[in-house]
This record gives sequence, C-alpha cells and structure tokens, in this order.
Amino acid sequence: MIEVENLSKTYSGFRAVQGISFHVNKGEIVGFLGPNGAGKSTTMKVLAGYLPPTDGRISIAGHDVVSESIEVRKRIGYMPENVPLYTDMRVNEFLRFRAELKKVARKKIRERVETVKQLCSLKDVENKIIGTLSKGYRQRVGLADAMVHEPDLLILDEPTIGLDPNQIRAVRDLIKDLGKHHTILLSTHILSEVELTCSRVIVIHRGRIEASDTPANLTKLVRGGGSILLEVKAPSADVIARIEALPNIEDVEIVLSGEGEWTQAKVFGKPGIDVREDVYGVVRSNSWSLRELARVKATLEEAFVELTQD
Amino acid sequence: MAFWTLYKRELTTYFHSAVAYIVLFGSALVQGVMFSFILSAVTSENYRDQSILQIFFTWPLFWLLILVQVPLITMRVFSEEFKLGTVEMLLTAPVREWDVVLSKFFGALTFFVILWLPIALDLLMLQLFSSPPPPVYWGQIGLTALTITLVGGFYVSLGVFTSVLTKNQIIAAVLCFALLFATFGFSLLRWIQHVDANLLAWVSYLSTPEHLQNAVQGLFDSRPVVFYVTVTAFMLMLTKSILEGRRLKS
Repeated sequence: MIEVENLSKTYSGFRAVQGISFHVNKGEIVGFLGPNGAGKSTTMKVLAGYLPPTDGRISIAGHDVVSESIEVRKRIGYMPENVPLYTDMRVNEFLRFRAELKKVARKKIRERVETVKQLCSLKDVENKIIGTLSKGYRQRVGLADAMVHEPDLLILDEPTIGLDPNQIRAVRDLIKDLGKHHTILLSTHILSEVELTCSRVIVIHRGRIEASDTPANLTKLVRGGGSILLEVKAPSADVIARIEALPNIEDVEIVLSGEGEWTQAKVFGKPGIDVREDVYGVVRSNSWSLRELARVKATLEEAFVELTQD
Repeated sequence: MAFWTLYKRELTTYFHSAVAYIVLFGSALVQGVMFSFILSAVTSENYRDQSILQIFFTWPLFWLLILVQVPLITMRVFSEEFKLGTVEMLLTAPVREWDVVLSKFFGALTFFVILWLPIALDLLMLQLFSSPPPPVYWGQIGLTALTITLVGGFYVSLGVFTSVLTKNQIIAAVLCFALLFATFGFSLLRWIQHVDANLLAWVSYLSTPEHLQNAVQGLFDSRPVVFYVTVTAFMLMLTKSILEGRRLKS
C-alpha cells in the first residue's frame, strides 16, 4: 500500500527526515513511534501529499505521491496533528462539504455522512457548530472527515492526543475496527496504545528509522526481553557474586539493599533463556530466605527508551 | 467540481461571520445616505448637468468606501486558513491550487458585488416611487456595473494576494489597504502641477476614477477592460505560486 524509498525532507537547512525507507502492506495497522521532533509528522505530511519530499520516491496504492498527487489524495484519509477544522461550520455541514470535496458520488454523500457519524458517535452533536465542541468531539469530527470518502489508507497523526482515558479507549477500539477494512498508519506517544492496536511498529528517531517490527519482537530487543526480580535475605555483595557465577547470566543489578537484611536485585539472563530455575538453585544452596522471585516482562516503553536515547 | 464546492463554502462563510454583516450594514448605510443627499440636492436645486449616477460614482466618498470595503472582505480568505491550520486539511483533499485560489477570489468578488446591491435598490425605489419616473439609461447603468465589477475584481485580487502572504488578518488588511491606496493614489497625480505630458498619458490610462467616469457617461473603452482582466489574472497567478511556495517551506 505504501512504498517509501530513501525519503529525505529538508527545511531551511534542517534535515527533518534523512533517507528513510519502509513499506506498509494492505490491511496492516502500523504505528509510527518516536520522540517529539523525530520526523513523524513531517513524514506523514509528505505521505499525505501536503509537503513535497526533498529526495526519494513514495508510491501509495501504486501512484506516485508527487506526480500523481490528486490520485493519491483521493485514496488517502489524512488527519493532521491538532485536527484543524473550520470552526464556523456545523458538523453535518462540514462533513457534507468534505465529502463533496473528496468526490464522493452525489447520491452517496448522505449515506456516507450518516455512516461516519454513527462510527464516530457524532449523532448527538450533528447540528452543533464545530467551534463550540470539546476537544474530544473535534477529534472525532476529524476522524470522521478522514474516512468519509472510504479511503484505502488512513494516515492519522496523533489521533488520541488530548483525549481523556475513556475517549482514548473509544478511539482505540474504533481504529482497531477500521483496521479490518482499511490500511492504517498512525503516530502516537502512547505506547500502550501501540501495543494494543498495531500489528507493526516503526520507531523513528532523529529522522532515521531505528527499528521496524511487531510490538512483541521489539520488546525482545530489550536486554533479553525481560528480567527477573529477586528478593532474598542476604548481603548484596554475596547476591551479585553468587548469581553472576551462573553460566547464562548477563548482569545483576541491585535495586534495593540495606533494608533490614533483604536485598532486592534484578537479574538479566541471556536472550531466550529462562534462568529462574538456576537462580532458585543458588538461593536454595545458600539457604537464603526468599521473599520474591518473579519474571518482569520488558515493556514497549523500555524498548522505546533504549532505541531513542542518545 | 471542487471549484463549486469551495466557492459555495467561501460564500456561506461570509454570512457566518459578524464582520460581514457589519460591512454590509455600513455599506448600505453610507450608500443610502449618499443617495438621499444627492437626490435632495438634485431636486431642490433643479440640477440638470449630471445624472444621480454620475454624481454618486465620482464622489470621493464612494472611493473611500471601496478602499475600506475590500481589505475587510479579503483579509481572512487565506490568513485564517493559515492561522487555523486548515490549509493542510484543504490541500490534502483532492483539489488543485487553482481551485482554491479561484474559489476564494470569486467568493470575495461575489460578496463585493452584494455590498453594492443597496445602491441598485435605491435606484429601483426612485424608479418606483417618483412620478413621473426618471428616464433610465440602461447602457450607462450596465457599463457602470461592469466597470465596478472589473475594478472590484482587481482590488479583490490584490486583497487575496496580501492575505496569502501572512497568517495575521490585520497585517493582510493593512497591506491590502496600502496597495489599494498606492494604485488609486496614482490617479491623483493629474492634479499635481508641472507633470510631464507623457506621464500624464499613463496616469490617464491607468486612472480608475477616470475609467468609472467614462462608464457612467456611457462611454465604452475596451482598454480598461483588458487592463483590469490582465492585472487581476496576474495577481491571481502570483497568489497561486505563493500558496505553493508557502507549502514548500511550512
């Protein structure tokens, strides 16, 4: 659906995007992840045909973004960051205007507007002026606008920013639902959202792609995909020495020591190897009292921090 | 067609804002006052040298009204889109820049023409309620309407151009007023003494008040028509390339 080859974007000397390449297949929900200023919005603007690329080639649904811009724009539903809307129009009026502008057949306009209003739960504000709506409703009007012409591809720039937890959940469910019929590329800061909705994540940092994989695989990249939390009654020096002596251990970190005689430690095993049994063996052979032994799964947040920290 | 969709929205947007109603009210008021003043002067002094139309459209107050109206109409057309960020949403829909520029221009021009409808109503009233009704010279009325629309088109294109330069409506309005004033002020050169004869010919060719004066007298001259259509098209082309340019650097 999207093919990006070597895309660069420079504005007034600043290279916001530096030669990135990726592709998105039909039917995928891809999350674009990265710190502020990483180049996410810029990339999305280029994909949506708003900004021309400085270098590189992009094709969407087989059409070139630069030379066949109108064809591409017909097939995209783009929701910009902060959802700019005409604040003087009513919701119904606005959606009808956008549907007409996006060349929805005259006979189908009413039906499409009704459908997107239903999908985005806008029925109760359909006659309100957009300027009087709350942030959450505006966000949903933007989303309704993005999909009013049944585009093959939805590009959503931070669709859940500024929403309350209930609204975030509603939008997340909506996106998951839309993913059944549309290809979706969305950017966000909220990592739990990506874990729940996206089939693939592209991590972008300083205008470059740092990683592109499923959320599950990304978390595996983090120091063996997780660690073991251990709390025993023993001096911390002993704990480090004895456990690091085991064959499959990469590192032992003391989290808490000196609270009574209890020591809390984080044990990192080699990738793909479960070291819990070995660790328990050490505890038993030293006759330490054991208060906790648990596996801690790496979160996407840790993967994000590791990939995007300098 | 994208142009019609956008044009309809442009025009309805005027009626969504208070500014439009204030400008409409102000214009109707000034036109009405001017009209009644001229009418009473003409009737009480039994003035026969000039028609009401002629006096109306050569009065400096008329020009003042136009010079104030146009910036107020055009200041928001692009500035507001930049300020709200809606230009991004607009230009990622399958529309061409030309559709956008032309719809904004014709929307503003249509509203400009609406602002001059009160004088037509005033004239109609005069026709209906005076006996015997004064003679109607359709040629002169038609030429006057055509000239005002052409001049309005040129002025509106200047306003649309200044609006695409900035996201601040006030700056757009002030710039537009300055440009209009410079264009109009050029025609005032003829009242300065010791002006070179060659320059005077240019002044006369480009002088908007003179064009209108000819029109109300029923003289048709094709040169101003060509002039206004050309400069308007030029300003719109400039507007379109600046719109594209702003997108490149935004």
